[in-house]
Amino acid sequence: MAERVPATVTTACAAMLRRDLLLAWRQRGDLAMPVLYAVIVTVLFPFALGPDLALLQRIAGGVVLVTVLLAMLLALDAMFASDIEDGSLEQLLLAPQPPALLLGMKILAHWLTTALPLIVIAPVLAGMLHLPTAAMPALVLALLFATPLLSLLGAVLVALTAGTRRSGMLLALMLLPLCVPVVIFAAGAVAAAQQGLPWLAPIAWLAAAFILTVVLAPLACAAALRIALDS
Amino acid sequence: MEAMTAVCATPLLQARQLTFHRGDEPVFAPLDFVLHTGELLLIEGDNGSGKTTLLRVLAGLLHVSAGTLHWRGAPWQRDAVAGDLVFLGHQLGQKLDLSPRENLAFATGLHGQRAEPSITDALMRVGLSGYEDEPVRRLSAGQKKRAALARLPLLPATLWLLDEPYANLDRHGIALVDRLLESHLTGGGAALVSSHSTVNFHGGEPQRIRLHG
Repeated sequence: MAERVPATVTTACAAMLRRDLLLAWRQRGDLAMPVLYAVIVTVLFPFALGPDLALLQRIAGGVVLVTVLLAMLLALDAMFASDIEDGSLEQLLLAPQPPALLLGMKILAHWLTTALPLIVIAPVLAGMLHLPTAAMPALVLALLFATPLLSLLGAVLVALTAGTRRSGMLLALMLLPLCVPVVIFAAGAVAAAQQGLPWLAPIAWLAAAFILTVVLAPLACAAALRIALDS
Repeated sequence: MEAMTAVCATPLLQARQLTFHRGDEPVFAPLDFVLHTGELLLIEGDNGSGKTTLLRVLAGLLHVSAGTLHWRGAPWQRDAVAGDLVFLGHQLGQKLDLSPRENLAFATGLHGQRAEPSITDALMRVGLSGYEDEPVRRLSAGQKKRAALARLPLLPATLWLLDEPYANLDRHGIALVDRLLESHLTGGGAALVSSHSTVNFHGGEPQRIRLHG
């Protein structure tokens, strides 16, 4: 038997992350889609509601949050689709590393490529709707916890609906109810910041939920994908 | 020395009355076989006779419905087997937007790599010199297959599960698969190979099982 260079968990995670980021870079046209979608939707609001400064200021936080979450939903159902199609997912499940960890890396890569650009552009969108500068830190911080939460919850649902046809709509119907608490806490933080009240408590709730899902979601994801392939 | 023989005598893979049910229907009749290191097992059968299903069961992608499966003398367990097995299915597991080299680098990152060959050597061995950095999307069906075959000599696995490795390959490609198998078997590996046509394997007489759907 030839000598072996074993794969450690670290090299496997690095390989996974590198591959997905490289793939995203090769298809970088797709990366711009959610961002453009968010820009266009946000621009529609002043047209529909009229240029009333006080009104726009009041709805700015909520509009930006909901737009970003919907934009993420657009890119979500592609998370495992191509891997199932070309057999990469089988290879991933056959690797000696824990599948949950590798899938966690995939989710991280997905968040970096879809949610991070949206978080970067969110203050600009909010500025277009005249959100006061004082509320910006609350908005960005809320998004920093709300978007990975959504990526993780979404990944579990994508894994559950993997293999079904026309899973996009089903996914939206399943995920949007789960978004309700996320939106309530995130919007609550932004509204509190706008009124000059302490806004850290709702963010802390989001952070707690994020920590819970970051542990549990990859495990659920691995189990769901195993079932999807076991048929 | 006696300990050595005892280790060698333990079969790598042993199936007793192994079946897989889809719904209530068995996909193939109960199977018995023993595979030692250095041995090749050919799975023959017509389309739909369950060759792919059997290989997926052995890889652990599907659950055994009835019967037992032993790996190196102990009941089959994912943690013991994963990493010591390569599965090459109909879906090649290649990312079309990446080059063969990048695909192999990912595979070795996940599964580990033998001390030799290097990725470049492995690609040369399967006849893809000059295509190392071309996106897999631009390769022909046979070249894609060869790019996937390059995984075999690279990864440190004892057992190869090859589903129709000869499909899409020209005469030289078929000889290439035979060469890869031969060097794997003489190096102390073992392989299960499925094929719907008769295979002329030159490196000794392999075991054969015939599946009936």
